[in-house]
Amino acid sequence: MANLILAPIVGWFAKVGRAYRLTVEHAGALGILVWESIVAVVTLKVSFRDVLRQMHIMGVQSLPIVFVTASLAGIVTSQQGGYQLISSSPRYVLGTLVVQSVVLELGPLLTAIVLVGRIGARITAELGTMVVSEQIDAFKSLGRDPVAILAAPRIIAGIITMPLLVGFADVIGIYAGMLMADLDGGLGKETFFYGARLFWHSWDLFYGFSKSLVFGFVIPVISVHMGLRTRGGAEGVGLQTTQAVMFMILTILIIDALFPPLLLQ
Amino acid sequence: MISYQNIFKAFDIPVLTGVDLTVETGEMFALFGPSGTGKSVLLKTTLSLIVPDQGDVEVDGLSVYRGPASNLDTIRRKIGYVFQHAALFDSLNVYENVSMGLPEEELAVLRTAELSRRVWDALEIVNLEPREILSKLPSELSGGMKKRVGIARAIVGRPEILLWDEPTTGLDPINTAAVERLIQRLSKDLEVTSLLVTHDVEGGLHICDRVAMLHSGTLRFCGTPQEFKDSPDPVVQAFVHRDAAIAALDMAVV
Repeated sequence: MANLILAPIVGWFAKVGRAYRLTVEHAGALGILVWESIVAVVTLKVSFRDVLRQMHIMGVQSLPIVFVTASLAGIVTSQQGGYQLISSSPRYVLGTLVVQSVVLELGPLLTAIVLVGRIGARITAELGTMVVSEQIDAFKSLGRDPVAILAAPRIIAGIITMPLLVGFADVIGIYAGMLMADLDGGLGKETFFYGARLFWHSWDLFYGFSKSLVFGFVIPVISVHMGLRTRGGAEGVGLQTTQAVMFMILTILIIDALFPPLLLQ
Repeated sequence: MISYQNIFKAFDIPVLTGVDLTVETGEMFALFGPSGTGKSVLLKTTLSLIVPDQGDVEVDGLSVYRGPASNLDTIRRKIGYVFQHAALFDSLNVYENVSMGLPEEELAVLRTAELSRRVWDALEIVNLEPREILSKLPSELSGGMKKRVGIARAIVGRPEILLWDEPTTGLDPINTAAVERLIQRLSKDLEVTSLLVTHDVEGGLHICDRVAMLHSGTLRFCGTPQEFKDSPDPVVQAFVHRDAAIAALDMAVV
């Protein structure tokens, strides 16, 4: 009888203990990865060519999908904003709404989500495959540092590329919103930008780029960390990639929620 | 000389439970054992690719786990490691893969012509035609060719010790025999110490000076090939005869 009561309680504590241990393990491993990457950069072990290559993959190759995502975000914001504001506010407020939404939230967040799918998943799968096919062990056996060769270039490229992509997404999103405001509600370019300038704070741009910088750091760090922890064969790579995508999206949403109280007060 | 001292390693279950083994300089040594007995794990502890829970490995008197960190760099320069499935770098061509086998500091000072010659020589030693494959990616090579490129990468740095992790796994009998002959020739020509982990008892007994057998995480046998064949230990006998039966079956299929 006592066992029947105690067993679920013990089981619950065991689950909490395992979750705690796993969290500490991840936090420790992430900290070590970041530290080792910094050491690799400071000791000039990171190849400039590798960084450029990763910037090309993350940046140039992501431009089409970022263009589509940002355009649609601008269009939808403009249409929905126009619908909500039609009878309650002056029409130029739509310019404020689109620009503020894109710069503060949609530009950085949607670009980050796109990069999680396009780059984060790719990095985890690529490094996971390298782990299970012993290529990471091969690097170590040859006296090479996998962090300097594989992790650091991706992290540096992420930090540099993400703000550039967000800048691109902001411009595209705002112009798409402006075009839709003109097509949908006949709001001219001058009126749209009058509204945008009326409530504009330069701080907002800094806020959006700060977010993008953090996202650009978080995506490669988590994806590399998860990739290097892969175990098992093809199934392990698939499982780890799925978990990495969940981990990255959740982290990005949490960081996104922490930004307003920290920087918009 | 490689000396494994009281090696313990557990993952979810214990894999190695106190293994002591010494491979002498210049010796060709084979390590047998059924799957899952920790042969590859033991081999990987030599280069700290897997860190044992307890115990130490010494290579030519240098401790891997109890000495300064620089020991590991020195040891890695002494050793060439041939991986089970070659472990070639997917994004690099054959030339780049093989040149990665040279230490970084050597690679930095070598002129292009000298580097090319070293890579070329290594590929010729493993009976590959460099002109035909230098620019190929690993995905364009057959299984046997990948193994040979992996061996070329391991020997290009002129190591004193070669570690072979099941080099014939996944190869057909003809390629298996060819790789075995290659292992034997390389060990003699390059005058290296060789530690070979393999399932292939027949091949191992044929080419090695001494052999050992791991069973249930411990060293069950260590001695000459003849002593292994004559061992009264029923576990050793079962392993020898099972292998002979499989070899006979292979021949029948061929």
